[in-house]
Amino acid sequence: MEKKFDRQFDALDGIFEFVSGFISKLDTDAGVAYSINLAVEELFTNMVKYNSGTADKILIRMNRDDKNLVLQLVDFDVEPFDPDMVQNVATDQPIDDRRPGGLGLHLVKSIVDRITYEYANRQMTVTVVKRLERSNV
Amino acid sequence: MFEIQNSGSAVIRLSGRLDASQTDKAREVLIQLQDSSVIDFSELDYISSAGLGVLLGTQKRLVEAGKGLKLINLNQHIREIFRIAGFDHIFEIE
Repeated sequence: MEKKFDRQFDALDGIFEFVSGFISKLDTDAGVAYSINLAVEELFTNMVKYNSGTADKILIRMNRDDKNLVLQLVDFDVEPFDPDMVQNVATDQPIDDRRPGGLGLHLVKSIVDRITYEYANRQMTVTVVKRLERSNV
Repeated sequence: MFEIQNSGSAVIRLSGRLDASQTDKAREVLIQLQDSSVIDFSELDYISSAGLGVLLGTQKRLVEAGKGLKLINLNQHIREIFRIAGFDHIFEIE
């Protein structure tokens, strides 16, 4: 199932409702649900924050693939993004050295099983795969 | 829906979901803290990096003044998010 959402943070309530509606039909646990909600929020808000040159809505697509939940976010008419350019967050640093930024992507990478980025024709597609078995979150 | 309550007894209570759309609401209350405080997570179901960022900013400010936050009653999911973020070394968590 898929749906487009306005690129603003206020769309998050509707996004969570959409995600919960899909997850509720699956045989999975609260940890998986938390992970997917977090992944969709972090990726969606990154698109809103960093792809500001477009007014297009963001498409969120969710499917089940055997034992996995597959989540996709598609952003239209945007510049390319290289995830390898995002600096890793040093989570062991003391509080004085902690800076904002990058934590969202770090959390997503830690809680999903696979994340891939595809860019073509000014369209960015982020695909997240999460196993439906018990989550570590 | 997210709510934050400052009961005035140095205990702040969070409830609902602290996501990116709710950080202003959280910040409005936390920015007023001048002393060490307890934040009760017992009614909070969810937090994202946006919420963590607000807490980090508050803790940095308080620590500079020789004070700090103690976080209590985190559910298992939120507790794991704090661990992944390395925030279990930055906050006192009970």
